Amino acid sequence: MNTNTSRGEADLLVIGAGLSGLMAAWQAARAGLRVHVIAKGAPSLHWTAGTVDVLGYMAAASATAVADPMNALSALPGYHPYSLLGAAQVRAALADFLALTEAAGLPYVQGDGNWLLPSAVGALRPTWLTPQAQAAGDARRTAPMLIVGFSGLRDFYPHLIAENLGKQGVPARAAMLPLELISTARDRNAIHLAHALDEPQRHQALGRALRQLVQPGERIGLPALLGLEDHGATWAALQSAAGAALFEIPMLPPSVPGTRLFQAIRRSLRDLGVRVDMGIEAIRSHTAAGRIEWVETATSARPMRLSAACYLLASGGVLGGGFDSDHTGRMREVVFDLPLTVPQRRSHWFRAEFMHPAGQPVFQGGVAVTAAMQPCHPDDPAQPLYANLWAAGGVLAGADPIQERSLEGIALTSGWAVAQALARR
Amino acid sequence: MKRIETEILVIGGGATGTGVAWDAALRGFKVVLIERRDLTHGTTGRYHGLLHSGGRYVVKDPQSAVECIHENRILRKTHAHCIEDTGGFFVVTPEDEGPYPDKFVEGCAATGVPCHEISIAAALRREPLLNPRISRVFEVPDGSSDSFLATHATAQAARQAGAQLLIYHELYSLIIEGAAENGTQRVLGARVHDAAKGHDVEIRAALTINATGAWAGQVTAMAGIRISVIPGKGTMVAMNHRALNTVVNRCKMPADGDIIVPVHTVAVIGTTDERVADPENLRIEPWEVNLMLEEGDKMVPGLSRARVVRAWAGVRPLYQEDYAGASRDATRKFALLDHRERHNVAGFITITGGKWTTFRLMAEKTVDMAAEHLGTRRPCTTASTSVPGTQQGAYWLGHRLHEIEENALQGELICECELVTRAMLENAARQNPTITLDDLRRDVRLGMGPCQGGFCTYRAVGIVHALGQAGVWQGDAGHQTHAAEEWDVAMMQSPAHNVAESSPQQGTADRAETCTPRLFNPNLLLRDFLQERWKGVLPILWGRQLKQERLDELIYLAVLNADHLPDAALTSPLSEFYRFDTTPNDKEVRA
Repeated sequence: MNTNTSRGEADLLVIGAGLSGLMAAWQAARAGLRVHVIAKGAPSLHWTAGTVDVLGYMAAASATAVADPMNALSALPGYHPYSLLGAAQVRAALADFLALTEAAGLPYVQGDGNWLLPSAVGALRPTWLTPQAQAAGDARRTAPMLIVGFSGLRDFYPHLIAENLGKQGVPARAAMLPLELISTARDRNAIHLAHALDEPQRHQALGRALRQLVQPGERIGLPALLGLEDHGATWAALQSAAGAALFEIPMLPPSVPGTRLFQAIRRSLRDLGVRVDMGIEAIRSHTAAGRIEWVETATSARPMRLSAACYLLASGGVLGGGFDSDHTGRMREVVFDLPLTVPQRRSHWFRAEFMHPAGQPVFQGGVAVTAAMQPCHPDDPAQPLYANLWAAGGVLAGADPIQERSLEGIALTSGWAVAQALARR
Repeated sequence: MKRIETEILVIGGGATGTGVAWDAALRGFKVVLIERRDLTHGTTGRYHGLLHSGGRYVVKDPQSAVECIHENRILRKTHAHCIEDTGGFFVVTPEDEGPYPDKFVEGCAATGVPCHEISIAAALRREPLLNPRISRVFEVPDGSSDSFLATHATAQAARQAGAQLLIYHELYSLIIEGAAENGTQRVLGARVHDAAKGHDVEIRAALTINATGAWAGQVTAMAGIRISVIPGKGTMVAMNHRALNTVVNRCKMPADGDIIVPVHTVAVIGTTDERVADPENLRIEPWEVNLMLEEGDKMVPGLSRARVVRAWAGVRPLYQEDYAGASRDATRKFALLDHRERHNVAGFITITGGKWTTFRLMAEKTVDMAAEHLGTRRPCTTASTSVPGTQQGAYWLGHRLHEIEENALQGELICECELVTRAMLENAARQNPTITLDDLRRDVRLGMGPCQGGFCTYRAVGIVHALGQAGVWQGDAGHQTHAAEEWDVAMMQSPAHNVAESSPQQGTADRAETCTPRLFNPNLLLRDFLQERWKGVLPILWGRQLKQERLDELIYLAVLNADHLPDAALTSPLSEFYRFDTTPNDKEVRA
């Protein structure tokens, strides 16, 4: 055999290092399981707003934001991942996420209902949990906003944000500061800028400039780059120097808030002894007698086989690369070749409008699972396909998590539920 | 109603119409051109970008081949910066064996198209991805061209010569006097609607030239003249990688999917040829995309498995002669119709058909006829007149990257795919009514790369919004005649030569009228451009391009919540066009 085989050290092999895989790994490790996480590359956390969207819009009434997702879960169809999980598990998982981030030094905050947070184009994003540094942007409060941008920053346009906020009845004005207050580097990547603001000596000058701009009673919205490694201290120091509440507005990828969250959870996993290997792509698997025997990965030298007692597919669907497709309209799940509920015909994948209120049908489909989050027979939702395989996050069928703004919520809660199920075994 | 008086009115802002305006202005005529949308919005902006050597026509249509090689040599001088000297191969694949290759060689000799047979080994050294099973390779002077830039440069040359080019001016009627029955009918100009300002304009002209390509029959019908111009749809597919740096043609009678053109950062496989009823709304059928990929594989094995960026379709005007009388009209592959002689309608000429490579020649013949109508003879000078920008030399793929690295402009990029800097976009936007970001796309290639607007749409909206707030388009929307030096087309695509202004310019005092505010709504700009890009990716969304699309959804829905912005009910003159349904349907087989 010219493959390397790593035999059965882990109780759980997690494929994918997005929120679902990381949350499952954390919860399983806390329950005493030996967990190994492999991932092809950086997860979609690096592209998101860094908030936890649980349910922002219902497909049937997508014009109005959901006020309180916990009251709306019961209205979802039976095949929706939240319906399979049940409201009690959803609440418990989110509570554990709050505990995890609090302990990791990146506290998240729950409001009374969905927060309504300004986006970088000035729309109001309904989200359930927000990093502390975004919370002061809640548009349900009446305090006027001062949106501050930096000249030359290509991913943040304060005047556009303020104008759109104003159109929605949120009092806001805009101002620009020189980018040199943050960095004189030529490349204006948000991650680099956030790194630059980790340095305490930059806080005073920026804080002073903000204090000169702000009027009494205003809160200040800034692009989400207030520190990366030392974000909590940076945010607090700037807020104190500015003399006003500061809130971050997430920008286009790469996402600073998402990167912070990834790093915080990864640190927590390291503390629990969980191995997280990035750059290892699972490409196929071997099954026998209704069980997964091993997963094969593409590595630089030669294929490698990883085996574990249990497997969690958390590879993220189309967005994460967990599904691939070709021009014939065939969509396949890459590692286990699981049956997908995606229509196997391209003519049924799309609608004529990019921003159709009901979303694109292709993204509704995925891996159908049992109530215990095990991939199931296409015709029998009670019958697991493999005794030792689970699925969580973006691969799940029954929801378009980007369309309904439930991406992080479904990921966290389904990943958590898999770990709970495993811990109980 | 606003009135304009001119000698020549040109209808249509494609390559041909713009070329006519340039030629006529150089000959000293007073010229006004109207285009209902942006320059090149029609067929010119939707072709594969081949500068013909003529090789494609040496057997089927020798006259066209002679014209192509003649014009090829001229355009390499007059429009040097719009043309990449890729060279071209005619390759004999295993399917193309037979008598054609020898006929091709004879045809090249007879028409003067330079053609050299080279060894397979030499061809593969130059193009390693080429099918190694080809049996013969002929090298010809094909090239690839940027039809957006070339038309802009021609338009700039026309303006410098005194022409007035009015975009977003839609023709709604011809002004006609007299009666057809007694042979005294005459076209006196046109009434048009200025979509940017929302008012009508009457243009009086001694001669009206219809240069509307596949739409030509619709325009002549306004004068009661029936001509037969059938729109022939050609579908093209852009691959994410150039795969080849040389144009590759199959050495056989021209057919579907037998050409790959490397143009800018992509390789275009073209084309199909389907007669359609409506030149306006073109569906791309799954079989067309599949056929392009299958045929592409015959020239570059495995090409079909590479990532596809986009598919689009253009319409060729297929002119059918149904006039029986003796004619001194030019009867080549393009059709120049003298309606005075043919239909007893004076003051009216139609030019249609042809191909991009021969646009200058078409314009020359058209203006020759126009001069005769106007009772004068003035020589054509376009063959020896370079358009602005030619001093930059021939196009080369690396020019933007080179300039960005030389000038350390990495932080200024707002479209990383196509290397568009903020200053390039701002300068283009200042000179544009910016009814849609698609206008800026044609100027600087915004959003044409792999992410199809995923990152740059938001940035462009933010930048254009800031320009609007600074009053850049107060009054005249920048789309009327510009002072020639105001709009430096020559440097439009150069990162190094577009210098950012510290604060956007204030509108000048003479721009007194106010624009229709709805056209400058940032939320509408954003929605329209995302939808415009969506339309062209729909036919090819699978694999990695589908993953890219999902990332774009993540950005615009989850991160920006752009589907819940204010002003959701606003539409632009282009919104409906962008909404046309191009979703793949179940017609998997050729109709």
